[in-house]
Amino acid sequence: MTATLLFYILGAITVVATLLAIIQRNPVHAVIYLVNSFFALALIFYLLGAPMIAAWEVIIYAGAIMVLFLFIIMMLEISPSSDPVRSAPGWAQWVPIFILAIALASCTLLLTGLDPVIAEGLPRWHASPRDFGYALFKEYALAIEIVSFQLLFAAVGAFYVGRLEQKKSQREGSS
Amino acid sequence: MIVPMEHLLILSTILFLLGLVCVLAHRNLIMILIGVEIMLNAVGLTLVGASAFWQQIDGQIMVLFLMAMTSAEVSISLAMVVYLQRCKNSVDIRDFDEMRG
Amino acid sequence: MILLLTLTLLLPLLGGIINACFGNHLPKPMPVIVANGAVIGSFLACLGCLSSASGDGLRVTLFTWLSSGSFQADVGLLLDPLAAIMALMVTGVASLIHLYAAGYMQDDSDQTRFFALLNLFVFAMLTIVLADNLLLMFLGWEGVGFCSYGLIGFWYRNTENAAAGRKAFIVTRIGDLFFTVGLLWLFALFGTIGIEAINGQVAGLDPTTITIISLLLLGGACGKSAQLPLMTWLPDAMAGPTPVSALIHAATMVTAGVYLLCRMFPLVSLSPIAMGVIALVGVLTALYAATCALAQREIKRVLAYSTMSQVGYMFLAVGVGSVSAAMFHLLTHAFFKSLLFMAAGCVINLAGHENDIYLMGGMRQRSKLVAGLFMVGLLCLAGAPLTGGFFSKDLILATAFAKGDLFHQAIYVIGIVTAGITSLYSFRLGYLVFAGDFRGEELPDDLPGLMKWPLLPLALFGLFGGLLNLPHLFGGYSWLSGWLNTDTDVLHLSLNSEYLLSGTAVGVFVFGWLIAHLRYRKFVRRESGLISAFLLAGWQFDAFYDRLLIRPFRGLCRFCWQGVEVGLVDGLIEGFARTCISWGQALRKMTNGQISNYLQGFIWGLLLIMGWFLLRAVA
Repeated sequence: MTATLLFYILGAITVVATLLAIIQRNPVHAVIYLVNSFFALALIFYLLGAPMIAAWEVIIYAGAIMVLFLFIIMMLEISPSSDPVRSAPGWAQWVPIFILAIALASCTLLLTGLDPVIAEGLPRWHASPRDFGYALFKEYALAIEIVSFQLLFAAVGAFYVGRLEQKKSQREGSS
Repeated sequence: MIVPMEHLLILSTILFLLGLVCVLAHRNLIMILIGVEIMLNAVGLTLVGASAFWQQIDGQIMVLFLMAMTSAEVSISLAMVVYLQRCKNSVDIRDFDEMRG
Repeated sequence: MILLLTLTLLLPLLGGIINACFGNHLPKPMPVIVANGAVIGSFLACLGCLSSASGDGLRVTLFTWLSSGSFQADVGLLLDPLAAIMALMVTGVASLIHLYAAGYMQDDSDQTRFFALLNLFVFAMLTIVLADNLLLMFLGWEGVGFCSYGLIGFWYRNTENAAAGRKAFIVTRIGDLFFTVGLLWLFALFGTIGIEAINGQVAGLDPTTITIISLLLLGGACGKSAQLPLMTWLPDAMAGPTPVSALIHAATMVTAGVYLLCRMFPLVSLSPIAMGVIALVGVLTALYAATCALAQREIKRVLAYSTMSQVGYMFLAVGVGSVSAAMFHLLTHAFFKSLLFMAAGCVINLAGHENDIYLMGGMRQRSKLVAGLFMVGLLCLAGAPLTGGFFSKDLILATAFAKGDLFHQAIYVIGIVTAGITSLYSFRLGYLVFAGDFRGEELPDDLPGLMKWPLLPLALFGLFGGLLNLPHLFGGYSWLSGWLNTDTDVLHLSLNSEYLLSGTAVGVFVFGWLIAHLRYRKFVRRESGLISAFLLAGWQFDAFYDRLLIRPFRGLCRFCWQGVEVGLVDGLIEGFARTCISWGQALRKMTNGQISNYLQGFIWGLLLIMGWFLLRAVA
């Protein structure tokens, strides 16, 4: 019962925090609200029996990715007041997007309502880190290797994009 | 039973659509990327919910891969944001319309 | 003999090919020598095989040209009496004209092209004459048409000359179309195109078919021989060099039509209607051209119209059923007309390249020889008694008269009136050119010897050509008629009427002379009246055809061009293109480079897919 109540409270926090995040003009504020939202989401994950995922949600999403966003925002020195008209969406842009979103939402809700299986409840279930580890390194060993390569490539790519620009600016500076 | 599966799906739908609205409405590249993060999280929520629903661990592993993919995506996109900012001194996507017909 | 006959045909071709391919690399006088040698050699070869031509004739099949099913066309030569006499005339006159041309063209830079075409022309003409089937004849027919086109427009840098060449080609092409249809029809009927085979089988044919085929052949002949109504090209053809006028447009090519009708005479003679039409066309052309010649100012145009008129007489002869009379007139005419043309070329040179006879006069003093030769030609043309022209024309008219019925009487009357007019314009020309004093301005040139002495044999032939077929009345033996084996055209006339006819002919000759003498002995510059302007323009036939054919055709073309092509076709295509462009422009706005818009479209698609799933779930 507590878990159910907790789920709804955390769900509300997630939605509200996300909503506040997306209507921000200043990306820094948006990122902070989003970190909030991710914490709540991590707790929901824990409630659903995924402690490992909950931990990673905090470590990777809130800890790493969002901080990376913050770094970049600070690096770029984007001042929100410099061009408020351009940086924030106006009402005219919101209207078709909301229509789209509501249409999509109703479609999804109708589809979920039509499926009798989904109406069943979520059982209490816990996947321990041990189960997780066994599954990951036995069944998904190859996938893990592929993902690690992907990360390597991403690191190389990010490095390359940054480095190319550096060289260019050096050349421009020298000439 | 914690909650009906349906409610979890509704929650993830709302999150997904909020992310979508963020991607579509904003003209700031950073905000668009943030929208993408929100959408990916919604998907992760669905996967964790499905894992619990069927009591199988595979959904959670998918979320792990999703996170790995997200970190790769974010690192490259942010590098490109920096690149674009250096090119045009702007992160407004309306300035990058070289592909218009 | 076979070798000689083959050589007759092939030597000019060889000469033409050598000149066409290598002429420009040969040293200067060589092309002329090659051309002249080829034609003279051809003449000698022809002379050599003359003896074997009598009776059934000499035939050679060189090779099979086309063979398809029952259709077979050989390159086969037939030297029968008719062909022999014609071939001899063509090669003989052509030899003399080549010699003359060597003098005439000696300063022209395009000599090689000229002689190549001239040789090819002789080859094509000989192909017509010697062909033993209609298809080969048609090949030659087109060959002479092409060479004529090339030679009329020889000085093509002058637009008028090129236009004259085109006109000749196109107008004769109309006649060729008739010939082609007739030829194909004959093949469809008989399954063969051999001339003798066809002539041997015609007896059993339906009279209407014969009439129509004969008229088709007449159409072809009219085009090539410049008869009504396809005669407008001949006066303009005088744009070519004078030897060309002499060879092609006086002596040989224009008589090809007559030769065709003589060749197909067994066929043609079976249809009285066709014969009547041929006679009528001939005599009307004779009259028309003679009246036109009365008013012409250019010396060569006078001769051109006189040629048309004389060829009309030949048609008349065929039409009244006398091949020998037609061939007789053809021969004498070839001699005196080429003589006249070449002498006219001399006169033009002597008058300082002046064509207009109103600006000549007194040419007698410039060169006695040329004047004498020209006058000989004129006398023959006018039909002075005892010249070749007199006998041949007299024979034609007498044959027409001898037919007896009213139609042929009328034709005889028109013919004799035309003879009078012929005499009148001949002496008008003579008086205007030779009498009085020189009215031009430029100093005359000297004449090369080559331009004078080839005229002498022609003058002799013209004067004494009558001996070839001297009628019994004057103590002759009608040698030509006998040679041609035509027993149909023996005249059934009493001695008195023959004397009467000859007397009438002499009478109109003298009458025409007298009028010319009174009117043109002293040159008076006259204002050209309405009638003479009408005659000068050739009865306004050019303008008439312009209104009747060319303008409607131009209108049609303009309609096809601007209405159909530009309006409809281009309009459709451009309209289609414009629609595509406007669609593209409209669609282009969608790809505006704004990522948000693309993403939005992406989401609309997602909505569609969701809707589809919803629909399936509901259904």
